[in-house]
Formats: sequence, structure tokens, C-alpha cells
Amino acid sequence: MSITYLEAIREAQARALADDPRVFIYGQDVGAFGGAFKATKNLAVEFPGRVLDAPISEDAMVGAAIGAAIEGMRPIIEMQFADFSTAGFNQIVNHAAAFYWRTDVPCPITVRLPCGGTSGSGPFHSQSMETIYAHYPGLVVMTPATVEDAYSMLLEAVAIDDPVIFCEHKYLYYHLKAEALPKEALPVGKARIARAGRDLTLIAYSAMVHEALAVAEELATEGTEIEVVDLRTVKPLDTDTVMASVARTGRVLCVGEAWPWGGVTAEVIARIASEGFDLLDAPPQRLNAKDTPVPYHPNLWMVHRPTSQSIAAAVRQLLRR
Amino acid sequence: MLPPGQPPDRNPGTLPTRERAVAAYRWMLLARILDDKFASLYRGGKIHGGVFLGRGQEALSVAVGLALKKGDVFAPLIRDAAGRLAFGETVLDAVRTYLGSPLGPMRARDGNVHRGRPREGYLPMISHLGAMISVVNGTLLARRFKGISGTVGAACLGEGGTSTGAFHEALNQAAVEKLPLVLVVANNHYAYSTHESRQFACRSLVDKAIGYGVTGHTVEGTDLAACLEVLDEAVNCARSGGGPQLVVAQLLRLCGHGEHDDAHYIDAKLRASRDGRDCLQVAAEWLRKCGWADTATLAQWHDEAVEKVETTVAQVQREPGPDPFAENWRALATKHLHGAYASA
Amino acid sequence: MPEIPIIMPQLGESIAEATIISFLVQAGDSVRADQDVIEVETNKATMNVTAPCPGKVREFRAKLNESYPVGAVLGLLEVSEVDAARLGLETSPPLAKSAVRDASASNENQPAASQTNQSVKPTVRGLPVPANAAGATYMSPRMKARMNELGLHAADLAGVAGSGAAGRVTINDFEKFLANLEQHKLSGASSMRVAVADAMRRSWTRPLATVALPVRIDALLAHRESCLPKPGPALYALRALALALAENSAPAGRLVGNKIVHPDSIDIGFAVEAEDGVLVPVLRKVDQRPLRELVERYNELVKLTRQRRLPADATGGGIATVTNFGTFGLTWATPIPLPEQTLVLGMGAGRKVPSWDEARQQFVPVVEANLTLSFDHRVLDGGAAGRLLARIAKLLAEPSDL
Repeated sequence: MSITYLEAIREAQARALADDPRVFIYGQDVGAFGGAFKATKNLAVEFPGRVLDAPISEDAMVGAAIGAAIEGMRPIIEMQFADFSTAGFNQIVNHAAAFYWRTDVPCPITVRLPCGGTSGSGPFHSQSMETIYAHYPGLVVMTPATVEDAYSMLLEAVAIDDPVIFCEHKYLYYHLKAEALPKEALPVGKARIARAGRDLTLIAYSAMVHEALAVAEELATEGTEIEVVDLRTVKPLDTDTVMASVARTGRVLCVGEAWPWGGVTAEVIARIASEGFDLLDAPPQRLNAKDTPVPYHPNLWMVHRPTSQSIAAAVRQLLRR
Repeated sequence: MLPPGQPPDRNPGTLPTRERAVAAYRWMLLARILDDKFASLYRGGKIHGGVFLGRGQEALSVAVGLALKKGDVFAPLIRDAAGRLAFGETVLDAVRTYLGSPLGPMRARDGNVHRGRPREGYLPMISHLGAMISVVNGTLLARRFKGISGTVGAACLGEGGTSTGAFHEALNQAAVEKLPLVLVVANNHYAYSTHESRQFACRSLVDKAIGYGVTGHTVEGTDLAACLEVLDEAVNCARSGGGPQLVVAQLLRLCGHGEHDDAHYIDAKLRASRDGRDCLQVAAEWLRKCGWADTATLAQWHDEAVEKVETTVAQVQREPGPDPFAENWRALATKHLHGAYASA
Repeated sequence: MPEIPIIMPQLGESIAEATIISFLVQAGDSVRADQDVIEVETNKATMNVTAPCPGKVREFRAKLNESYPVGAVLGLLEVSEVDAARLGLETSPPLAKSAVRDASASNENQPAASQTNQSVKPTVRGLPVPANAAGATYMSPRMKARMNELGLHAADLAGVAGSGAAGRVTINDFEKFLANLEQHKLSGASSMRVAVADAMRRSWTRPLATVALPVRIDALLAHRESCLPKPGPALYALRALALALAENSAPAGRLVGNKIVHPDSIDIGFAVEAEDGVLVPVLRKVDQRPLRELVERYNELVKLTRQRRLPADATGGGIATVTNFGTFGLTWATPIPLPEQTLVLGMGAGRKVPSWDEARQQFVPVVEANLTLSFDHRVLDGGAAGRLLARIAKLLAEPSDL
């Protein structure tokens, strides 16, 4: 048997619904239709009355989730695309994120964001939103890169008492497969050494972890050992694992599919520069999407975001410095 | 059951009882005195940040608070001191929040009108108008999931708030989900300084009820008797499965948007109209006319309210302020994530 | 006749593959543009694949109920030259390549992904390693931290050939160097040695130059013989230098930023060899005291210095130094000025050499020694240094005036 990243997300939700009567799913087309990406396929049948189609209002969806969470429920909100979550931005960042701080009452909502680019999706169906949510205190931002993490982290997202922005990468939905669902998992808040190396640390999260691993594979044939760190959660950020890796290699490239300005990669590099300057053999570097909206045509799109080719080129350049 | 969009016929027989009228009046009076005290503390430099008063809107507000029961959900807005007290907020909570006491429900992390006790169904507002409505919807949805019936959620808004997408989205959501939501719109004709003609172009805001497929009510917001009657009706209708209720009241705020504002922009003709009456005086007159209170009784209630407010303010002023070094500065409820979260 | 592939389209956001449900036409059939030719099913929906232009189905490569990835060739369509040219259909559209291994088992049907963007330039930027990075002149933060930890200086790595960018010493080079040191006999350097090393290293951060002039010292030696106690030859040079600087102290100034720091007292030091190093006692206001008054103090300081008991009032504050490397039998050297000084005057060993006597029209034996002046080239140039040296030589020619 094998299971895709998308199926893992569906299975995690099925398990959460089965194990916890407080869980319900609310989102556009999530009911009988099973979601735009089929992440809630058959759940409305298996869990009658607990998987609800929402009117097209991200604001009201999140607002309702907050109200339900205050009442002790554990709502899962599916945004049809991460890009659309801006329409519910106010409720997420001003209401959900600040709620525990203001009131001492937890606001355990999970907002699922199908994010990241796939070819041909254009400016409004391709965005990576982790940066903007990571900026706000009170939110946990998860960016699973593997089938196993998609499953275990989503379960943990539902279980923890804080609002979670769960960034699931659309490209990984069908392209990534695992043998089985995981039996155990690293806790949320811990990064993972996806591949050990000694010459350079490649820090990535979400789909970029796979691009980074491909680069590590390629450079291994040339005798260069790249260490790949999968951040898993971008907030909180596991600085310890990052710093330990940089201490081993002295060189670091942080890769993100999101835009460069004030982003996750900027935060990682800032922390390395301020806390780990003496560990560095070369200037810490980052590689992001270009600072333009996400383009439509595949020829443009594939150059807009970091790819294994552009990462490899950046790695080679950094190794020479 | 009424068809959506159709206001019910008023039943003139269901007049409020003496007990209810007196309770309402006394909450209004307490709210007015409390508000006046906040204004005074603000002018004395004792309150940091804004002070937002409900002067002139107490009758409508108290009617909402009184119509709700324990177990209901209430999301008041900035001019709802009376409704908050009637719903169960203590003067102590209100004063502690305004004065930034760490002992208050918001523990000095939030202040003034941004106060509540969410575990008791009393939601602390955020500033973004209309945002509280869908949150009330969520609490009602949760109760439906949990099999709890017979509770109601009320959210308050001004006419300016009806211009927001959040108002539309949440009222539509409540209608779709057939939730027991009572949305009370206090049309005080000005959103801060902007006249209602710049907020909506319909004949009356209650006309929107038809569009959303919810029941609409109108009430004269300066008339306590009418407010109690209409709000009871709306809340009962929602409680008994009638779906969302939109209540639109006409009134005037008899103060600035906040205490920093002198409200010079309010039309003098409007001030002199029925909407410009002081609802507290109207209510006192009503009690006297019904023979439920005489001048001496009214004076005694006034003195009791002043005593209550003064005692509480004196107590809170002696309480220590928040200590920034004792503050845990923790935005996450999940404690084990905090270490990795906080650095830098 | 051109053939174009019928490919599995991208049938929705994130869809990776689709399954063939039915063929709506047969091989050999003629099809219209936009005609549905194959019915496929994705995880999300059932849809039809269409013909991109009119033509004849040559073959279907896809099999019923099998799944194929996006971009897979499902069949071939024969089209007219005109249509192929008009629609630009000769090449299949390039597909975005991703590192994620494709889930599909039917990879052999996948068209080769476009390789046109192999040399995508990454948007990482930054200054290059400085051009003068060779060796240990440029060190990364990690190298610096490691060097500080071990108390080492860039000069200690002078023997290390860097393997990094622009020849810089990398942490790996450094660790190898350290490991190699362990193979050798190591002993601790004396504190005197370490202090001299530090002073020399600091001094060497400046551009230093040396000029020299051979001078006759017969008169000096004769004058010396007539004195009791006898002044050392270096003392003559020291007094001559002091007088020359008293006339014009500018050459002894120090350059700090865009300012010249002028000497305020003609205090001159002289190098004395001590165990495992050199010390420099200082004589104060040398311009104001004749040679004969300096001899006793000079001799006393030499003695005290050799005993490592240099008094505080003779330590530091000099504006220039004299060193008599002639005592080692050396005739020529390029001494290094102290880090806080601009000048060092050197004196070589005297040698008897033939000198052409114009009056007598014959060679006569004379004693000659080289005077050297090493200086901070930022402060003065060869001309100024030469003029100073010539003035000193002239003063030395009249030792009785010193």
C-alpha cells in the first residue's frame, strides 16, 4: 500500500474526527464534494453533520471557527487556496492570534492552507503564505514536507491549544507518496536533519525540502556533502537544530518558495548572523522566489521559484566563497 | 414562526413588569454614572488610551443585556456599558480594565471597552467592526454541535459597521446556518463624524433583513419600554428557532465618539429631535408615570450607584499596576512551544 | 507528414496523473480541432482530452485503465504541414521540472522535460571575497573566532597555502595546519619573543622603506679615542639624528588618519640586545645635551637594559630609534621602526676601504660605514628620507661639534 501527501491529510482529519468529538471541518466545498483537492473526500459521509460547506466568506469561516473554539470545539478550516486566506486575514491575525494573550482562553483552530505553486496556477492560486502569518504573535505556522509530517503534524495542529496555520503544499498532494502512515513523529517545533552532511547546510521547508535533497544528491556525486535541514514548523523556529548544523558546516543557504522580503528565510539568516556569526565560513545566503507576483506560464513559473538547478548553482557559488 | 424578513406585529399586551423596568433603569443609571466616572478619570489623566461612552444609548443596550439569559452569548460594542452590566459584568471588571489592572479579566493586556469573559459567553470585542458577529455565529454553531439548544447569541453594531464586508458575510452566514443570532444595530446617525448618508443608501437599515432572509425589527432606541419589548421579542424569536433577528434602533449618542471628541458635527436639529432625547430621563419619567418609582426613590438609586462606582474606583486605584518584569510575555497557550517561539 | 503528440494535460491544480477511461475515437480516425479524443479521470473529476488541431490519429500509446502523469504522450496525431506551422505544434510545451520524484510508474511515457533553463542564475548576491584574500589576509568569522580562541594571528598562517576562494585559508586548511603542527617539536616562546613579535607585526602593517648612505667615520673614531669614557658609535649617530630632527622634526611625525602628530620632545631610543629579544631605552631631550653629557647615562642604560632593569623614565615615548647592527659585524640591514615611531636609523660596521683622494691623486685608506634610515613611507618619501640621512652624515663628519 502507498499513501499520498493529500491522502495523509485526509486520513489525519478522519482520525481527528473519529478520536475527538470536538473536531469539525468547515470550508468551501468540503462536504459532499470532498474539497477542491479532495482532502475531505468521503468525510461528510463518514462523519455526518461534522463536515460543513461554508458560504464563500473566509472572514466568516474563521470568525465562526474562533467562536466555536471559545466554546471548546476544535474546528478545522479549509481555505480553498492559501491565497484566499487574505480574505479572512483580519479574523486570523487580529482575533485568533491575539485571543489567548488577551483573554487567557485558548483559541485552538486549525486553518489549512493549500499553498505553494504548481505550474499554470498564476498569481492567485500559487502563493506561499507562511511568512505573513509567522509575523503575528500567537500563531503556530506548520509547513510539512513529507507524507508522514503532513499526517502527524495535522493531528498535532488540531490537538494543540493555539491557532495553527497549516501550510500544505499543493504540488506535494499527489506527487509525494509514502509506504504507510507514520507510527511516531518528531514533536512540533523541532526541525529535522533530512540528510546529514559536512560541507554546507541547506535549510528548507515544505516542497523546497525535496529540491534541496535533490541538490544534495547531485552534489554528493561530486564529493560535496550537503546537510539538509527541514524546518517543519517555521514558527516556532527550531534555532537550536539550525545553529548546530551551521556549526558543523560553516556555510548556509536557506531556501524558501515565498517572496524574499522579511520572510522566513530572512528570519533564519538574521538569527544565524546574530547568534551564529562565529560559526560562519562564508556569508549566510538565502534563495527565494523572485520579488514579483507568481507568473502564469510554466516557462516563467519554473524560473520564478527556486528549483533544484538554481539551488545547486547557489550552493556551488557559496562553496567557492 | 414568522416568515423571514417580516417584522412581527407588536403585541401591546406584553408590557414589561415593574421589576423588569426597575432593573433596566437601575442598570442604565449605573452605566451612566460609571461612564461619567470614566470620563472624569480620563480628564484627570488616570486612564491611558481612549474612553468610549454609551451616553444616550443605554436604553437599547440594557434591553439587549436583559433579554439574554445566563448561558447566552453576548458580543457588545463600545457603547454597551448598560448591556454589559445587565448581562452580568461587574463594575469591578469594567473599572479594572479601564485602569489597566492586572487583576481584571484582560490583565492590563487589553483595555477600555475591549473586555469580556469568553468562558461566560461574554466576548471581548476587537476593534474591527463586524468581526464579532461571525464569532458569535461560531459559538452558536458549537452549541448546535454539542446538542445544546435554547441559547441565543447577540452582537451589537452601529450603522457604520453595516458598511463592512464582515457584517454582510456574518449575517449571511447566520442566515444560511439558521443560527439564533440577534444582531442589534444602533443607528445613532454618525459613525465617528460621518453621517449615515455616507454609510448606506437604503430607506432603512432594517430593509437589509429581507435581503438576507432574516427577521427584521425596528425600535425607538430612546424609549426603554419599547426597547425592552422589542429586544425580548427578537431574543425570544431567535431562541425558539426563528433564525437570525436584525434589530435596528434609532437614537443619538449624547457624547463624542470618544472622550477626545466634542461631537460638534452633530446636527442641532437632530439633537432637538426625539432621537436626541436622553433615554435615561425618558425612562425615569416612564417609571414615575407608571407609579413604579418616585423622586426620592430615583435619588436613592442614584446615590447607591454613585457609591458603588466610587467605592470600586477607590479600590482599583489602590491596586498595583502591571509589572513588565513579572509579565510572562507569552502569546502561545502551548507552553512547550514557547521557548523556541520567543527568542529574539 | 508531421506528427504531434497527444499529451496528458494538466487537468487541475496540483493534479499529477490521470487514468484512461475510454478512447472516444480509434486509431486511423480523422478528428476535428478541439474534438474529444480520450476520456480520463483524475482524483477530482472525469474530463476529456482534446485534439489540438485537425488531423488523423496515428496511434494511441496509452492503455485503458492505466494512469499516466501530466505531460505523458498518450498518442500521436498526424497533422498537415500548414496546421503544424500555423499552430507552432512541432514541439511539445516545456514542462516544469521538479525534484520531487514522480509518483507515476509509467515514466517511460514522459516526454523529456525542457532543459533550457539549466543555467538559471540564482538571485543570491553579496560582495566577492576581497581580491587580496590570498592566504590569511581575509578570514571568515569562523576562522577569526577559531584564531582568537587559540590566540593566533594572521602572520602565524603565512606558511599556509589557502585552498579557498581567491586562495584564502579555509577552516579546513587551518585545521590541517594545526594537525600538522602536532607532528613537530613544539616549545613555548619566551614572553620577550612574543612581545617583540607583536611589536614587529603591528609595525609591519605599514608600508616601510629604507634608504642608505655610506659615510666616512675616521673623524668619529678619532674623536672617540680622545674621549673618556668613550662614547659608543651609536651615540654619535643618536646625537646627530637628534640635532637633525631639532632642525626639522617633520620626518618624525606620525600619520593618524588625515592628521600628522608632531613630536614635542626630541627623545631618541637605541636598540640594545637582551636575552631573546631587543629592548629600546630612551634618552630624553637629546638635542639639548652635548654628546659628552650623554655618555654616562647611555652606558648606564645599556648596562641596566642587559640586566632587564630598564628604568621607567627611560621606557617609551621616543620619537625615533637608533640601532647599531654593526656590532654584529653587519654592514647593511633594513631595521623595522617601532610600531609607534616613523624612523629607525641604522649603523653598519666600519670597514677600511680605499678612497680616491682628488688632491693627492691616489687611493687612500678610509673607514666607512653604512647609515640606513628605515621609515614609514606614508609619512615621508625617499627625498625627505635622503635629505635627513645626508644631514646626519654631515653632522657625523664634525664629531667634535656633537
